[in-house]
Amino acid sequence: MRFLMAGLLVLAAGMPLVLPEAYLYILGLAYIFAVMVISWDLMVGYTGQVNLGHTTFVGLGAYVAALMQTPLRSGMALHPALAIIAGGVTASAVGLAIGIITLRLRGYYFSLVTAILPLVFMQTVFIWRELFGGEEGFTVENTIFTTTLEKYYFSLLVLLVSLIIMRKIVDSRIGLRFMAIRDSEELAESLGINTTRYKVMAFILSSFFAGIAGAMVVNYRFTVSPDLYGVPLMLLIILSAVLGGLGTLYGPLVGAIVIYLAKNWWLGDLIRTFSFPINDEIVLYAILIAVGILMPEGFYHGVKRWVKSISSEKK
Amino acid sequence: MRYAKAVLTVIILVAAVTSLCAQPEKAGREKVVVGVIGPMAVPEGQAQEKAVKLAAEEINAQGGILGYRITVVVGDTKLDPNTATSEFRRLARVEKADVIIGGFSSGVMNAMMETMAETKTLFLADASSPEHAKKVEQNYEKYKYWFRVSQNNGSTFALDLADMVKFLRDSGYEVRKVYVIRDEHVWTDPVMQALKPLLEEMGVEIVKDVKIPRGYSEYEQLILEAEKLNADVIMPVLAISGTGDILVKQWATLKPNILLAGHDLYAIDAEFYEKTNGMANYEIFIADGGALVTAPPTEKCREFVEAYRAKYGHYPESHQAYGAYDAVYLYKMVVEMAASNGEKDPFDPEVLVRYLERFNASNPARLTRTIAFYDNHDLMWGDNYVRNWISQWQDGKQYIIYPPSVANGELKLPPWIKK
Amino acid sequence: MIETLIQIFLFGAVVGGIWGLVASGFSLIFGVSRILNFAHGSAFVSSAFLVYSLVNYGYNLYFAVLAGLILAAAIGTVVYALTKPVRDREVMVIILTLAFALLVQQVLLILFGDRGVSVQPFIEGVAEIGGLKVTYMRILSLILAVICLAGLDIFITKTKLGKKVMATAQDSRAAMMVGIDIEKIFLLVMVLSSLLAGFAGILYAQILSVNPEVSLKALIYAFAIVILGGLGSLRGSIVASFIVGYILVTTITFLGARWSEFVMLLTIVAILVVKPTGLFGVRE
Repeated sequence: MRFLMAGLLVLAAGMPLVLPEAYLYILGLAYIFAVMVISWDLMVGYTGQVNLGHTTFVGLGAYVAALMQTPLRSGMALHPALAIIAGGVTASAVGLAIGIITLRLRGYYFSLVTAILPLVFMQTVFIWRELFGGEEGFTVENTIFTTTLEKYYFSLLVLLVSLIIMRKIVDSRIGLRFMAIRDSEELAESLGINTTRYKVMAFILSSFFAGIAGAMVVNYRFTVSPDLYGVPLMLLIILSAVLGGLGTLYGPLVGAIVIYLAKNWWLGDLIRTFSFPINDEIVLYAILIAVGILMPEGFYHGVKRWVKSISSEKK
Repeated sequence: MRYAKAVLTVIILVAAVTSLCAQPEKAGREKVVVGVIGPMAVPEGQAQEKAVKLAAEEINAQGGILGYRITVVVGDTKLDPNTATSEFRRLARVEKADVIIGGFSSGVMNAMMETMAETKTLFLADASSPEHAKKVEQNYEKYKYWFRVSQNNGSTFALDLADMVKFLRDSGYEVRKVYVIRDEHVWTDPVMQALKPLLEEMGVEIVKDVKIPRGYSEYEQLILEAEKLNADVIMPVLAISGTGDILVKQWATLKPNILLAGHDLYAIDAEFYEKTNGMANYEIFIADGGALVTAPPTEKCREFVEAYRAKYGHYPESHQAYGAYDAVYLYKMVVEMAASNGEKDPFDPEVLVRYLERFNASNPARLTRTIAFYDNHDLMWGDNYVRNWISQWQDGKQYIIYPPSVANGELKLPPWIKK
Repeated sequence: MIETLIQIFLFGAVVGGIWGLVASGFSLIFGVSRILNFAHGSAFVSSAFLVYSLVNYGYNLYFAVLAGLILAAAIGTVVYALTKPVRDREVMVIILTLAFALLVQQVLLILFGDRGVSVQPFIEGVAEIGGLKVTYMRILSLILAVICLAGLDIFITKTKLGKKVMATAQDSRAAMMVGIDIEKIFLLVMVLSSLLAGFAGILYAQILSVNPEVSLKALIYAFAIVILGGLGSLRGSIVASFIVGYILVTTITFLGARWSEFVMLLTIVAILVVKPTGLFGVRE
């Protein structure tokens, strides 16, 4: 596994040599999207709590960072790196507040509240328009990363760091507790694990990275807008994670990149070439349904099993 | 051995990826690439794609631009700024578009303008936010490649709305109080700002100014309130609410003694009457883009509408079609002008910007509409240029009722109004 | 001031009517059976579109409505089949039904575009009640909502079949052991709730209009009403739909239309946080 990861990393680092700039741009965004997806997996795949409002934190991180970098609106002009971290911290603070209140209750309450949250925050963007820019959003000045190359490596770096941190958490005792809660909350409780505390912990971490990702997007495309709170983004995250395999981090990572590239790159062309009367969203949702029924553990487990079966054959 | 398989997979992946994007460098120009970008899942985007393809077909049949064939490449913004910027970049850098046409939705436009500034691609655009023209004004060198072609700056809507009120009065319908219902969105602010003093001058009072969120549906309450406040006109200023049909339905059901007259993007839709089961009858609206299927302002427009129908089986599904079609011909015009002036590279955006700027008040381009630009590259407004025609739905058809130079119908009051 | 209050009183009730109808099916599937069916909105929207299309082609309105209801039942059956293999895993039920809902939404978008469509109303015309103009359709939907919810209530609590539904919802394994055919029960619940959703959608298209995105809005309002009324309490849902109507109307009257969406959402979140069992919650 480590070899594979190292190999992929080398591949990623070498991409600028072979990929034209436009595709590099998309790939960089795909890395940021991957951070959103693996942080979602951290919550849903490991503690089993279905967070339907992950984009709340993406949007929060994005707007907080954007505001802090735009003196016209907030009187502040923070260095982008600081703003990004501020975005993540704000997102996790909100995650803490919400988590404390809702994670005490049955699962679907959490899902419901989180489902509605992004809509509430989106409304705040429209209502307090002078500050948040309303539907159109606003432009952000960033003089630190201006070339596609710099942006690409920065997002790759952030992805790497996030992945490593989350991996470490998941492989630790804390991670074990998360999984215990996922597998049987009642059993975990009876073993003396304070399930609410661990659920909230996972939520804080999950929302922190989501906030970071949101802030990264803003520094990537220099504008912020309410689509970062939106339902389509949330669905894409869910799709990628489930496809990749919940509870594995690596699965959702690959799922995220594949799906993001598919959606923004070649799936559209493929469909247009054949003039199907469908659009790429239909294809993706159909795939999600198929995977959900036939291979609910996602591709990661499927591939792992396949690899194992091949190597055991050799014996 | 397991690792060998992994490495092999990685190598195959790399090969696949690079083969997908390897672009052999072409020496010298072989064709003209026209990019069209927009939300392809909705009529506004589809209309642009179809219109551009129609124009390209026509021009190619006549020998192309300077002898080069036009190839059309399409980008889908999916109404998302991220996707839009990626697509714009792809069209500009990978497809090597010489000009990009289209857009829609001011927020997405904002994002795309940044990419345009980077790639320095000529962008003949849609969308109505004054913000875009302001960018050109404030930072000319960066944003000069942008020209608004499809419709007027949103604040000119105020001029059209004020004219509409004046026209109603001149037709014998007294207007003293107006009840405004508008989108909760930045685009309506400059419209209202410009409209208020104009109405004040005419002695018209805005009794209430109601903002509604996207997807709002409880218009009955507002209509009843307007009745209580003795409004003469309920004036919608809507484009993104998406529920203009509910408004007109509830107005037609409640039958208040008030005219429904204003701006609603949805009312311009040729199928609006059918989709509302005929309840749209008598709604007065201003038609963005300066052209209506049932009332083309120029001969070329009439030809375009018929050619569109012949090729696609239906009339243009949104007013963006006219702008997109004009944009292609406009591009052809300036390239030919540049070539005949002896420019070294008649396709160079830096050069073409200057030629586009030549189309000003005294020298407009007569296409499906009469196009001219202000200094900030905004589309010129006026009876002889592009303005939103005052129109009305009457018994299943749209008629332009003002200004007289293009009108093909007369104002009809709903039967339940007593004035 | 008194006049305004009377207006709010009358109007709030009537506005709540259609939403109560929307929530009725959901009250059954989620409130009683605890199945988080995110595809509930799909039946709602699809029936309305089918009725619109058929009427456009010249078919009789009532025939079209029948067809719409059959479509709704079919959708219910499909969702039943989709969720059968994963019913015990809440995560998958949510994801599968959500994906299905979106698939349907995309299909509708391609077929009809994103613009709304209306269906011609069963009854036309406006009534004058206390100086206030109220459309007959709104009154009809209020009456129908009360009938449906009350009817469901009687069904669940008083009939043998209804009790089987309750039992299956509480503990499906135990129900199986007692000899209840739980598959049939689940199918029944799915189809019935989808029928109600479809019916509500058709009425919604008559009073307002329906576009592919409305499925999400309908779902959220349905959720809100069911949770506010209390999971498992159909009577609670009736009361809750009135409350929703009042909140909407009051917000629009006093705060302005732009706040209506925001206040509605905040209220839902507040309820979920403060009293998750709702007003008449049966058990938790």
